[in-house]
Amino acid sequence: MNWLKNNLDRVLYILTLFLFAFIPLYPKFPLLNISGTYVAVRLEDLLIGLTLALWIWYLIINKNFSFFTKDNIGRSFILFFAIGCLSLFSGIFLTHSVVPHLGLLHLFRRIEFMLLLPVIATVFTTRKRFMTALMVLVMTLAAVNIFALGQKYLDWPVISTTNSEFAKGLPLKLTPGARVNSTFAGHYDLAVFLDMALILLTTLIFAFRKLIKPMFLILGVVSTLVLVMTAARVSFIAAFVGLIAALILSKKKKYLLLLVIIAMAIAVYPSQLRDRFISTVTINLLDLGQRYEGRNLNQQLENKLNIPTLYYRISSRSATGASFASPTAGIPIDIAPGEPINVTDLGVYRSFEIRLNIEWPRAVNAFLKNPFLGTGYASLGIATDNDFLRSLGEVGILGTTAFILVLLSIWKTIYKGIKSDEKIIRFFSAGSLSIIIVFLINSVFIDVFEASKVAALLWMILGLNIGLIRNK
Amino acid sequence: MNKIFKTFAVILLIYMLWPGSKGISDFKPLPDSAKSTLSGDTVQIPNVSAYFSYQFRNFVIPFYYKNFQEASHFPFPPLKLNHPPEYSWTVIKKPTDTTYLEEFIYPLRDSLYINGFENHHPDGSKVFYGSPELREDGKLWYTKTTLRLYTSNILVRILVWFGIVFSFIYISKLGRSILKE
Repeated sequence: MNWLKNNLDRVLYILTLFLFAFIPLYPKFPLLNISGTYVAVRLEDLLIGLTLALWIWYLIINKNFSFFTKDNIGRSFILFFAIGCLSLFSGIFLTHSVVPHLGLLHLFRRIEFMLLLPVIATVFTTRKRFMTALMVLVMTLAAVNIFALGQKYLDWPVISTTNSEFAKGLPLKLTPGARVNSTFAGHYDLAVFLDMALILLTTLIFAFRKLIKPMFLILGVVSTLVLVMTAARVSFIAAFVGLIAALILSKKKKYLLLLVIIAMAIAVYPSQLRDRFISTVTINLLDLGQRYEGRNLNQQLENKLNIPTLYYRISSRSATGASFASPTAGIPIDIAPGEPINVTDLGVYRSFEIRLNIEWPRAVNAFLKNPFLGTGYASLGIATDNDFLRSLGEVGILGTTAFILVLLSIWKTIYKGIKSDEKIIRFFSAGSLSIIIVFLINSVFIDVFEASKVAALLWMILGLNIGLIRNK
Repeated sequence: MNKIFKTFAVILLIYMLWPGSKGISDFKPLPDSAKSTLSGDTVQIPNVSAYFSYQFRNFVIPFYYKNFQEASHFPFPPLKLNHPPEYSWTVIKKPTDTTYLEEFIYPLRDSLYINGFENHHPDGSKVFYGSPELREDGKLWYTKTTLRLYTSNILVRILVWFGIVFSFIYISKLGRSILKE
């Protein structure tokens, strides 16, 4: 015990360094299931919990709580967590919209991810430690890319959490047309991770010696390729905007034209990403494309019921007969009348419709029920697919404002790094700020601040940056 | 600014402490209806009641909307939210037959959910194949309306009010400090 006490700083360093690799690389195998949800406690949660416990012990030993008492970042964290607790209390006892143990689980998840920022900022206090963390991140990125390519071309296993059955941790294989997710359990999470990686590679390429540049370039090209393979439209746009921001903040505007040309080439080159972009315009925006009209009169009438899965039966069809399309017609078997016939169009159509008609109105209703505090964590189910609406729905104006203060205080601290004389601080800070922008853009269509792996990595990278700036 | 905030805090407190509906018995039965005696519609779940009737959504919703405002003693009407029918399994009971679900709410206070099951057209024909018969009191009905009221403890409301007021004050202080930084 004494040894641990004397070497706490070093133990924390090794543990957090390990987390930089373990969080992105360890597939989402469930460790402990929670009733009422398919979000499970995983091994990484235990490791993060252990890290946080050791860090708190470290603070107690050093009697240093200035992060929470004097630092605006720490104070905004406390405010955000306190409003989260109040919102949860109101969700349980006032609006009756939260199942208590699920609300607590979601509150703890946010605390768990966000506290990684001060942990990393406390531990990574030397240049050597910072460089080691970067090295680990680069190697991790290479491994993530290799695993994604292995899934696509060598049938390597896929662990997914995109539905309750997959979330049991079963090793799957990518079916034709399915999108890679590497070790991230969801293609969107992988895409956001690659967004972060591409931005850091772009800014850091200017900070390092010529010897390292080709390695970063190769890694950047492979990461872009895998990003295209995820076919995540919003993440592609976020990467593009994030890279523009990164070049502007790094004062490397002369590369902007090159970036635009590369992005255009990727958008035009035949791929699932391009097809989905086209479908977004034709199906979601222009409402074009051939629609399924129903196999028979029964099915057409069923579609007019407010619950179209109910049977209508006006004449000869068996009550137990399938109401779905015939698989031999080349039409998706579960298609309903009014939906696009083309498989890509159908995916894009449903992806938007579920947001527009189910998830977003649910969040708006929650916000209206309690505009100040929302209806509490976990009251909107697993996803809203828009983090702004989710935040307003779950923690209301007060919680959302507190979260904006968290981001604002971090932004102001890191922005100072952009003016630093030291190259590495300057470029890493430009990258970190652009990552915040990337997260905000992704938030329009994904709950990216709640996506465990990428959310944890965001706070860790920001912590790394703050540690670097404060200990230069 | 200080005065405006104080006024807001006092008005919010009055609004939150205003006496509201006490229980499901505050709500009238639908005209020409039979109260359900089925399991789950009586005493098993607090503040639930259900009525079989010939009344459809266009009558039921305005009827209880007015009733809820009267029971809440407010001079202004409640907010009306339309929910997906399947949400009734969460807020009414599991299982609940449903074709629509609406909620009337005074934010930060009480809410009343109205779940409707309309499996017959007004002419008595069935809406979909296999519609169950709605039978109560020896009669065949066209619709079933289930109400569930959610109330809140006054102490909870006071605590939430304190929390909201202090959050506003602290956000304002911290926000200014961050912007000055």
